[in-house]
Amino acid sequence: MQGRVNREGGVHQGETRFALVLTAPGILVLLVTTTFPLAYLVWSSFQTINLAMPFLDGFAGVQNYVDMWYDARFWHALGLTGIYTVSSVTLQVAIGLGLALMVMQIPAGQWIFRIVAILPIVLAPVVVGLFWRTLMLAPNFGMIDFLVQWLGFEQINWLGAPTPALISVIVIHTWQWTPFAFLVFLASLASLPGDVYEAARIDRANALQRFWHITLPLLRPAIVIVIIMRAMISLHAFAAIFAATGGGPGTASEILNLYAFKTSFVELNFGYGSALAVALLVITMAVSGILFYVRTPRRREASA
Amino acid sequence: MSKGRVNLKGIYKRFGNFVALKHIDLDIKPVEFFALLGPSGSGKTTTLRMLAGLEPPDEGVFAVDGEDVTYAPPGKRDIAMVFQNYALYPHMTVRDNIAFPLKMDKVPAAEIEPAVVRAAERVHIEHLLHRRPGQLSGGQQQRCALARAIVRQPKLFLLDEPLSNLDAQLRLQTRVELKKLQRSLNVTSIYVTHDQEEAMTLADRMAVFLDGEILQVGTPDEVFNRPRTIAVASFIGSPPMNLLPAKLDGRRLVVDGHVTELPFAPDHPGGDVTMGIRPSHVRIDPDGLPTRLYLSENLGESVLLNLYLGEYLVKVRVASFASAGDDETVPISFEPDAIHLFDTTSGLRIRTAQD
Amino acid sequence: MSLHRRAATRRKVVLMAVAAALLLVWVFPLIWAVIVSFKSESDVLAYPPTVFFEPIGRNYEDALFGDFSILDSLATSAIVSVSTTVLTIVLAVPAAYAFARLKLPAKKSIGFYTLATQMVPPVGLVIPYFLILNKVSMLDTYTGMIIVYLTFSLPFAIWLMVSYMEDIPFEMEEAAFLDKATRWQTLWHIIIPQVRGGIAVTVIFVFLNAWNEFLFAVQLGGNTVRPVTVAMYNFVSVEQTLWAKLSAAALIAMLPVVIIGIAAQKQIVKGLTIGAVKGGGRR
Repeated sequence: MQGRVNREGGVHQGETRFALVLTAPGILVLLVTTTFPLAYLVWSSFQTINLAMPFLDGFAGVQNYVDMWYDARFWHALGLTGIYTVSSVTLQVAIGLGLALMVMQIPAGQWIFRIVAILPIVLAPVVVGLFWRTLMLAPNFGMIDFLVQWLGFEQINWLGAPTPALISVIVIHTWQWTPFAFLVFLASLASLPGDVYEAARIDRANALQRFWHITLPLLRPAIVIVIIMRAMISLHAFAAIFAATGGGPGTASEILNLYAFKTSFVELNFGYGSALAVALLVITMAVSGILFYVRTPRRREASA
Repeated sequence: MSKGRVNLKGIYKRFGNFVALKHIDLDIKPVEFFALLGPSGSGKTTTLRMLAGLEPPDEGVFAVDGEDVTYAPPGKRDIAMVFQNYALYPHMTVRDNIAFPLKMDKVPAAEIEPAVVRAAERVHIEHLLHRRPGQLSGGQQQRCALARAIVRQPKLFLLDEPLSNLDAQLRLQTRVELKKLQRSLNVTSIYVTHDQEEAMTLADRMAVFLDGEILQVGTPDEVFNRPRTIAVASFIGSPPMNLLPAKLDGRRLVVDGHVTELPFAPDHPGGDVTMGIRPSHVRIDPDGLPTRLYLSENLGESVLLNLYLGEYLVKVRVASFASAGDDETVPISFEPDAIHLFDTTSGLRIRTAQD
Repeated sequence: MSLHRRAATRRKVVLMAVAAALLLVWVFPLIWAVIVSFKSESDVLAYPPTVFFEPIGRNYEDALFGDFSILDSLATSAIVSVSTTVLTIVLAVPAAYAFARLKLPAKKSIGFYTLATQMVPPVGLVIPYFLILNKVSMLDTYTGMIIVYLTFSLPFAIWLMVSYMEDIPFEMEEAAFLDKATRWQTLWHIIIPQVRGGIAVTVIFVFLNAWNEFLFAVQLGGNTVRPVTVAMYNFVSVEQTLWAKLSAAALIAMLPVVIIGIAAQKQIVKGLTIGAVKGGGRR
């Protein structure tokens, strides 16, 4: 008994209580602001909550989830989420890495790129969506619309036709967030040890070999982290799409996030909207789980 | 002043499966400059951190002036410590660094500034008070850490390898000043080092650590001249003493067929023993044991010969040596009254008339 | 030798050109917005777009003081963002210290919990918040909005601050303890001053996120609490073609974050990379 009391002695005396005092407010706030609403969300996904027809409200069991299974719009939204996330993350990483490698070769003026790259990142996604919707893509006004016609192509209704609308929202997202990948890769490249490259040069590795055998493996942690962070953001993208297309035309750019939102706040069917949001949460956790699993280098690789 | 007596009794410390300290007993006298000497991982730093209260022991008792402080928090122990990497607060000026312990001790503001200046003057950094640690050289940082430690009168003064981050020349210079400082402070000081030269020159007494145990406690003189075990003998001295298998028969000590007549009667029944002899007590002797010269190192003041006696490397320090080339045969003999004897099985020193 | 060098120079020039072209892709929309914001409504609608025109300041006047004034929205955004930032820092910094340094029961689970809360899709929060705030009549209130903003700022801030706290050497606390500082004094005098840089980065990110937030704002706000992001959106949905005025208003609305972005460029990159650089080593 005395031994137990003693163990808490010395430098650790009162440590746990102090730690609890420090963490309690933050954790309590998180419990109240995040966990409680989340529990409420799960609860409401088992309810019929329709502000348009409140007389029908009540416990629905798994009916919302059954409905979801047979809901073509859900599967469509899910597919779009996949396309949107995979393509925008791939583009961000590829362009960001390419640009970073390029800028690393430029002897002076790297700071200009850093400054320019910061700008899209700090802009509100909703403003980015609005800028693109109007200044870049609007028919007979936007710069891209003008360029397309000037180059002699047929005018494209970027935001009004299904496939161009999907491409547009992917491009907008890629435009805003590629600088993020670029800046992370630039910083990681700058922190790579120079002597490794000198050694590789002495070993007569050419530029491509150096990239493939040295740069890429050393950059791997940064790449994986960027993929994880960007995938999370892509899955939850909202404001830019909402501002640019509103998910339209029809449901052409309606990723799951938007579908859940519209179901709740446009159709006022909060029960089903909740179920859709729960589905998105599950997907997010699954994706991040897989990505985190990939991130952790396994033993096999270490010993190989 | 009779304050600052430190007692450690039966201290054990484990980190997971690793036993860092195995039954440590120590008795450190007031105002003593006491060194904990040992290679890294031997437990000396863990012992110091326990004294500071930063690492509670798993078993055992630690008392200062008879008061059990085994589990007292660091701030309640009235201890000052100089960390190996100094642990200066980077966001504070030197002045604020030195003043911090006084502020925390609720010393009246009016008394702080003079105390800070006094402490700074003692280590000659009074002109640097407005700087931040980042703007100081390594030696100045070390002095700042010292000043922070001595600004109040602690019961115990702990130093964790305080000289190890200094370059060689500065280390020698600081060593002298540190000794002077400690004498003038009149505070029990415990000093961790892996550098035996530091321990030998600084300490009044020292404890030799190896693998979580104390091998020997004594004055530098005792440890150097009467190592208690083979392990201590093989650690102390640079280079350490030569250890060779020998046979003891009364006063006759036989090494590889060569007989040395001992001037004293060892307290041992005879048989297989280990003979220890320092490099400077081996002579080149035409009638001695033939050895093969492996390499001679010219150290300036002396020459260190690396000789092979069969499979054993014997180091010999001579004033000068004219080599006829490697693989030359060099005959050696041992100064009889400088011979140390150890029981080969127990590793313990065999008492002789000298002891 | 000189052939090599010439090839290398040519390669550099090509590189510069490609990089500069890509650079243009990122600045162009902004530059174009600036140009448009100085056009009169008739110049705006000229097609093909005109580059030479008589610049006017009218759009900015209107956006600030005219019929389309966004001053109120700016004030709202400022109140919400600053309050969120202050609250977040006050809650996150001590918690992060405890996570990074102290013995805490169920530390791993709580740490995972904080991380997991970052994965909750915002839409999964806006739905229950709408229902809850509706029930307690807190829709369109500052209190409600700030509480909601804590959901995304707090976990992020804790996570970011933990990585800064972990960088402080243990000897700092140990030295402070030996100097008779209490735990609170150690936190206040030794730890917090040393993570000022980290706090600055966290403040910047939390503020930017709060200022730019749209989903919660559009659905849980209203006439009282209408941050600039919502005002911008309403502008387009209500005033379909007043794009010069929209550009002016949007540029004003984004001015704070753009200034912060450029001024704190280094800190932002640090914040962005901290996960990528440190995360690689941590499991």
